[in-house]
Amino acid sequence: MTAAITPPLLKIDNLRTYFYARSKHSFVRAVDGVSLEVGHSETVGVVGESGSGKSIAAMSVMGLISAGPGVIGGSIKFASHRVQKNLLEGLDKFVKVEEQHGRVMVVHKDDSGWQNASERIMGSLRGKEIAMIFQNPRASLNPYITVGEQLTEAIRLHTANKSPKESTERALYWLERVKIDSPRLRFDSYPSAMSGGMCQRAMIAMALSSEPSLLIADEPTTGLDATIQSKIVDLMEELKSETGISTLLISHDISVISRLADRVAVMYGGAVVEYGSAQLVLGEDASIKHPYTAALLASVPSEQKIRDKDNLQTIDGDVLDTINVPPGCRFFARCNQVTPEIKEKCATHHPDLREIAPGHQVRCWRFNG
Amino acid sequence: MKKYTQTSGEIGDFSQLPIWQKYALVDLLYVAYGLLIVALVLVSYVLGMFNLLPHDPQQINIELLMASPLSDGYLLGTDFLGRDILSRLIMGIQAYFLPGLLAISISLIVGVVLGVLSGYRGGRIETVIVYFTNLIDSFPRLVLILLVIAAFKPDIYYIMIVMGITGIPTVTTAIANKIRFLAQKSFIEAAIALGLRTRVIIMKHILWYNCRALLIIQATLGMGEAILLETSLSYLGFGVQEPVSSWGNMVQSGANYFLQGNFWPSTAPALAILFTILGFNLLGDGLNNILEDRRGR
Amino acid sequence: MPKTILEVSQLSKHFSRHRSMFSALQRNRRAEIIPAVDNVSFYLRENETMGLVGESGCGKTTIGRTILRLTKPTSGKVIFDGRDITHLSDQELRPLRKDMQLIFQDLDAGLNPKMRVQSILSEAVSVYERLSDAEIKVKTRMLLDQVNLKYSKLSSYPSELSGGEKRRVGIARVLAVGAKLIVADEPTSALDVSIQAHMVNLLRELQKQLGLSYLFISHDLQVVELMSHKVAVMYLGKIVEMGLTEHVASAARHPYTYILW
Repeated sequence: MTAAITPPLLKIDNLRTYFYARSKHSFVRAVDGVSLEVGHSETVGVVGESGSGKSIAAMSVMGLISAGPGVIGGSIKFASHRVQKNLLEGLDKFVKVEEQHGRVMVVHKDDSGWQNASERIMGSLRGKEIAMIFQNPRASLNPYITVGEQLTEAIRLHTANKSPKESTERALYWLERVKIDSPRLRFDSYPSAMSGGMCQRAMIAMALSSEPSLLIADEPTTGLDATIQSKIVDLMEELKSETGISTLLISHDISVISRLADRVAVMYGGAVVEYGSAQLVLGEDASIKHPYTAALLASVPSEQKIRDKDNLQTIDGDVLDTINVPPGCRFFARCNQVTPEIKEKCATHHPDLREIAPGHQVRCWRFNG
Repeated sequence: MKKYTQTSGEIGDFSQLPIWQKYALVDLLYVAYGLLIVALVLVSYVLGMFNLLPHDPQQINIELLMASPLSDGYLLGTDFLGRDILSRLIMGIQAYFLPGLLAISISLIVGVVLGVLSGYRGGRIETVIVYFTNLIDSFPRLVLILLVIAAFKPDIYYIMIVMGITGIPTVTTAIANKIRFLAQKSFIEAAIALGLRTRVIIMKHILWYNCRALLIIQATLGMGEAILLETSLSYLGFGVQEPVSSWGNMVQSGANYFLQGNFWPSTAPALAILFTILGFNLLGDGLNNILEDRRGR
Repeated sequence: MPKTILEVSQLSKHFSRHRSMFSALQRNRRAEIIPAVDNVSFYLRENETMGLVGESGCGKTTIGRTILRLTKPTSGKVIFDGRDITHLSDQELRPLRKDMQLIFQDLDAGLNPKMRVQSILSEAVSVYERLSDAEIKVKTRMLLDQVNLKYSKLSSYPSELSGGEKRRVGIARVLAVGAKLIVADEPTSALDVSIQAHMVNLLRELQKQLGLSYLFISHDLQVVELMSHKVAVMYLGKIVEMGLTEHVASAARHPYTYILW
């Protein structure tokens, strides 16, 4: 990676978002020390299964976590041409964390103080500088208002096009740009009259109409039909090259990530276990990968497997329960690449992210020491 | 500042936790209080039924008018005719207990039958039942009751039948909605696909497991409403007539003496009404929270 | 020659949508007819898996439910294990249901949230047979073994289970009654990739062990290709192409199939 003098667009540092399970008197460590970067005009994909914390991480960036205690630590530095800010600035005075043996034991949090301060920071950024699209687009749209009205409302709010004429023009422009069919007709339609794919296009239009610097896409293709999924990915590819927007793309669908992402982060159990360029992380060579990544890639039916009608490779055990987080490596219980030399370490010490090649980091004792 | 503490040590199974850790303290208190009241009412009813009272509730004692509580064998004192308030209170329960049970039985039984038919069968039956329940719902209960009183006689049982009928729509729609919700989650279909008998599906899965809370609330709130209805009517003079005691008419007759400074004969039954209805309502509330929140947070 | 376990002949299922409540009360007045399944025919043999693909709304779920007589077909015939079940009443169908079961798309279907796994499975096991408590216990454990679930899960409630585990309990429930034909409605969607792999392997194992037949409904083409011996492509209620999986996947003849793959 060339040394960049300009700071990355989004730099998440040691983000921790915990929830509290009252019935069990313990923390659900949904995001436990995640560090990520999104550069300018770059798409970073975050791959992980349910429970990995990827969606929570995205929502933490947007300041959308309301359940207690929520975000308890870390920094999220945002640096576009227009705005440079730490999205968690000044919020640490509302939180006090007590740790014991490196494990968070008590959190004191002033929820309302935090929310207010966070709103003051995020209010001007949300929708304008950082936009987000979600899974299940029909659920994100107001079913009682036409798509056109929702779109123009967003445009009036976030751009300089305040008059009805200007905002309508812009809305139609964007509806055309997301290749929705019959934009004029869709403008006056209600979400219930549109298919899932069309709703998602409308959502993308709404998100991009304010020309944000960063787009966060949380499972944008999940829940859509297979054919529509690939169309939406096509659209996102085009828009990516046309607008040069940076995207933080969250998905459990590896094929979607591989088509769109420049760099990929693999999350498991609330932490990033591998981070690097898409070719390296999703590539063929299993020897330079985190065991989880390798197993994940191998569990997707490939051409070979289909031809041989072979059984798929599976990962033993169940997805990590983020309440009962084990002391050592989180993947230890399911890892099939533990060797006797490192076994002790794997069981007791949580590995750090180490760079095994320029720009490629892996969190595994196989590559350390 | 909210404090969140991580438990040190093993994180155990929720269902093995002792009762005071599983449910909110407030709910447990509600239920405890409610059960206490229900127990008192039951005991009093039985006592009244067999006439096992400290004194004759209708015996007039001219010597001991307006005695204050704890005087000389009269635990709660006497009223303006020297009658024992405690015994009258106990007998007052006779006025609403059975009628109340009648009312809630009608609401629940008919409501459940119609609700199950409407939700399970759907189609034309559902349409008819919905019309029917809307019809009942649109009548103001008090007007209906006064009509019944005018047409027949001020018999508490007739009144309670009316109350029962007016309570049907709530139960029916609640159950029908619950069934519709379960159907949406393919719950019922899965049970049918497995081969379970319709009867089993309805009674066990739908009613017992899923509608329990609903039915308990209806029963407890219904009882509370029945008490209120009976006492109000008696207060107004339409219900139980003197010298038989009802909490309502006790309040009414004591009212004349209230402004003279004799608060107790009116206040005692009023407090009884208050605490009893409160007991039923809180019982329903607490049980609902406990049953619905079984999984805990 | 393995025998044919399911034969579907010119099956159609139409839904009518009524305009207003009044038309609902009168028979068939101004109702809109939606052909969810339109003249579908195919057959399935023992120990065979037939994949059914298509986009959502194409009718594949409705076919599954119609075949299992969870809803009455509008026309056509369904012959299960040599017996015409098209017009049987619910009473007559009940004893037959044990041989043909459905794995629902919704993970929570059939799992009463207030019942522990132990109770759910005991109930399933006892639907068609009267067994003693000891026998029930043995059978439920055997079922858990078959679906690779730990015995400790017996005391859990469905809300405490993960997606994959819920799906497996659903499968165990279906196996409990002794199904021969299983209609699997999107068994791998809503599951993570690594759990999907488990599921696919499990279903294949069970087929080998128990000689099951599957009607595998899915929109995940890769998985369908892997699992099915033959596949049918549906579009707007009709089957537009059907054949051995290899042929349909590689040498698609219908334009729609081509788009899908």
